[in-house]
Amino acid sequence: MASEESVSTADQWVGKSVPRKEDKRHLAGASNFVADIRLPRMADVAFVRSPTAHGRISSIEKPEEHADRIFLLTDLQPLHPISGGPEMATFRNAAYPPLADEKVLFVGQAVAMCIGCSRAVAEDIAETVFVDIEELESVMDAVGALEDGAPKLHEEWPDNSFVDATISEGDIASVADAPVKIRRRLKMNRQATNPLETRGVVAYFDHRLDELVVYTSSQGPHVMRHGLSLALGMAEHRIRVVAPDVGGGFGGKNRLMPEEIALAALALKVDHPVRWIEDRNEHLTASVHAREHHYDLTLYAREDGEVLGIEGTVHVDAGAYALWPSGPFMETSMAARNLPGSYRVRHLQIETHTSATNKPPIGPYRGVARPGACFAIERMIDELADELGLEPVEVRRRNLVGPELMPYRTAGGLRLDNGDYPQALSQALGMVDLPALRERQHRGEPDGRKLGIGFAIYTEQSGHGTAEWVKRKSRVVPGFETATIRMLPDGTVHLLVGIQSHGQGLETSLAQIAAQELGLDPSAILVRHGDTALSPQGFGTFASRSIVFSGGAVAKASRALARKIKSIGAHLLQVPLDQVIVRGGAVHCGGANVAMKEIARAANIRPEMLPAGLGPGLDVTETYEPPESGGVFSYGVHAVTLLVHPVTGVTEIIDYVVVEDCGTLVNPMIVDGQIIGGVAQGIGTALYEEIPYSENGQPLATTFGDYMMPCASEIPAFRIKHRVTPAESTEFGVKGMGEGGAIAPPAAIANALNDAFRGSGAKFLETPMTPRRVSDAVAGARAGEQAA
Amino acid sequence: MELTLTINGKTETLSVDARDSLSDVIREKLNLTGTHVGCDHGACGACTVHLDGIPVRSCIVLAVRCEGSEVRTIEGTRGDDAMNVIRRHFHEKHALQCGFCTPGMLMMASDIIRRYGRPDEKQVRSELSGQICRCTGYMGIVAAIVAAADELAGEPAAG
Repeated sequence: MASEESVSTADQWVGKSVPRKEDKRHLAGASNFVADIRLPRMADVAFVRSPTAHGRISSIEKPEEHADRIFLLTDLQPLHPISGGPEMATFRNAAYPPLADEKVLFVGQAVAMCIGCSRAVAEDIAETVFVDIEELESVMDAVGALEDGAPKLHEEWPDNSFVDATISEGDIASVADAPVKIRRRLKMNRQATNPLETRGVVAYFDHRLDELVVYTSSQGPHVMRHGLSLALGMAEHRIRVVAPDVGGGFGGKNRLMPEEIALAALALKVDHPVRWIEDRNEHLTASVHAREHHYDLTLYAREDGEVLGIEGTVHVDAGAYALWPSGPFMETSMAARNLPGSYRVRHLQIETHTSATNKPPIGPYRGVARPGACFAIERMIDELADELGLEPVEVRRRNLVGPELMPYRTAGGLRLDNGDYPQALSQALGMVDLPALRERQHRGEPDGRKLGIGFAIYTEQSGHGTAEWVKRKSRVVPGFETATIRMLPDGTVHLLVGIQSHGQGLETSLAQIAAQELGLDPSAILVRHGDTALSPQGFGTFASRSIVFSGGAVAKASRALARKIKSIGAHLLQVPLDQVIVRGGAVHCGGANVAMKEIARAANIRPEMLPAGLGPGLDVTETYEPPESGGVFSYGVHAVTLLVHPVTGVTEIIDYVVVEDCGTLVNPMIVDGQIIGGVAQGIGTALYEEIPYSENGQPLATTFGDYMMPCASEIPAFRIKHRVTPAESTEFGVKGMGEGGAIAPPAAIANALNDAFRGSGAKFLETPMTPRRVSDAVAGARAGEQAA
Repeated sequence: MELTLTINGKTETLSVDARDSLSDVIREKLNLTGTHVGCDHGACGACTVHLDGIPVRSCIVLAVRCEGSEVRTIEGTRGDDAMNVIRRHFHEKHALQCGFCTPGMLMMASDIIRRYGRPDEKQVRSELSGQICRCTGYMGIVAAIVAAADELAGEPAAG
């Protein structure tokens, strides 16, 4: 028998790198993704998609021999347009139709759907559908879209702007005569989110339950059920949405997409299950796109490097439609509000424009807006340092919000709750040995490459609730999470949650939290999620919210359950309630104890053993929102060292340091995994990933042959250090951290490239910094020098 | 047309289309769904299986050219001692998150270890250059393969 002390230590599950519960099925090749679902008589769907960026549909011809297997928007009725985007009078709506009818607005937009006994047969039928489109001039640039005379995507709109808004704080005019002014244009190009599992939907009508069942690769089944209910005009209790194993999401699976509505509607028309599995070409050309920010910024500063104000414009290229529920405005407002970053800038004046263009709609992607904002401000800080002849680290130090100022409200209106940003910077600096690197840089590399060191600091708003989402005018306000915890007669536990876990390891982390509160081993707790028929109402996993919200709900529900367990335990032990504790799978009072399974048995199947007045059952549902619903901020410093060839422009990262603080770590192994995976995606944004378009709207990255995904040979090993400043307003002091890794890399890497070529005039102001862009920047600077 | 192949040790005769890929046959005809298709154009490596002992991207191998061949998928490795060592290291080193690339990674990992014996980190990274993982940033995968190779070689892990 374990000693009392070791039992107690064993219950301390928060903070332990418990290996993941999820791994077993994946390692066996026995997981169940949407494409793995097998149903009798299931037919495959292929979409007919627009080859034209902007046009009016004159006619769609269904060949007679396939007419019953081809479906147009009119065949799927009744359907209801669902408006996405903020609830603001100034926001112009553009509901995304499940299939195009009058107009097509981007290459790849779904126009018709075809069913076949296999995907190949469905595609054969799709090829026989003739769509006659009268081509219109396309709008491909977010800035040009707003110029007079630009063709309009939505004819009822006055121009191509979803919304124009000014984000303003302080008085920018008061610093207009600052001694130092730096103006730069920066751009973060368009990407796709590219989870390795593409999207997919299987839908059928279950006659026994009189319900529509929709399996979809989604981050939030409950919210999608609500959207489907609106789109189909169908009562919500007759729709079941299941997100089974989901192979990554990163934001791209957190919007209700036209294919999901179309498949659901089709399942109500045909008498068999239907399936659509997105292929990679569809993912790159017609799924959720992200980023594509244009910045034109002026930084006002003193000669000692103190930044006084930021002024300028942000254009976000939002694509053709507003995705349900949030639409594109969040991207623009977050970009502007995050521009002050972690600095004490007091004057901010940003004109924002969210432009409609003939491209797929943008949606969230890991970091949402902040990779762009961080790239912009952190590049500007280095440009300022260059202008003043200062070490960029020193300029940062002069401007960082110190711990003594926290909580600190930034000029962007964000409340930085706690942490020590200057100390994190010092720690990162200590890990890279800057003087030694400067010395090596001075000596030069034997192979002619250039060494560069770049820093970037980021903050990551996480776990924000009602106040923040209401401020964003969101039509769905993810202000809480729900957990149901249920102890079965043998003392094992089902934990049902409204979040969705698609790589984050929440089946493990949430079990750790419940285990800690209930004095159980996590192996006794089974976490279920992703099925509206099983789980209580929730919003899913996005915005670095699940550990804060769902972790909080699990802790709260577990504590309530523990109270009842203690009541029963005290009764069975015949001791006062205030003398018992739960620990190590039992309720203890001094040296006496009663095992959890005895208590569970009494509560579930032997009610005569319960104390008088206490109802049977061990089943608790709780909702949770942290008291500070503006969010808690993780933060960190990235320091990258790279070698870059001045002629080929090829970049090799030789060292990557992350110092980060996400408060209390529930499972340090999982946290590190999220950091590393996030940084890898950020490196993709920085150096490789881009979806360019031709002038007439043809996508130029349509396969993994031309969309460069970073592989093991491009991604370095990482050195990570944690600082732990527990959040004051959350359970255990946790902060969300799933996105932070992806925020800083474009900034840090661009700063390192700038450092490698400092003084040459080469500018690195646009992502991705492909070999060609780097090589062109260096060659352009040389040519400029010679001309001068 | 008719195709006869040995899949995970069992000989199967199937009716296939000339255009079916090996992954189509594995997933849709044999219902072995552990082999995942991530791109369907031979770029991501998720669909990696062993064809006559050599790793291939099953999405770009025509099924009809596998007549008489031996195919091994992830399902066929569940009782394989060496693969179970690799699995344990994947589990311990957090070498998977969403799990979608994992079967292909494991099939490639076992081949890397077969060919190199004890590959170093650089060799593993280079050999994995055709396997995309979107979640992990590769660090755990590389560490797991190196450690599994060391264990399988019967030698203590370096460092």
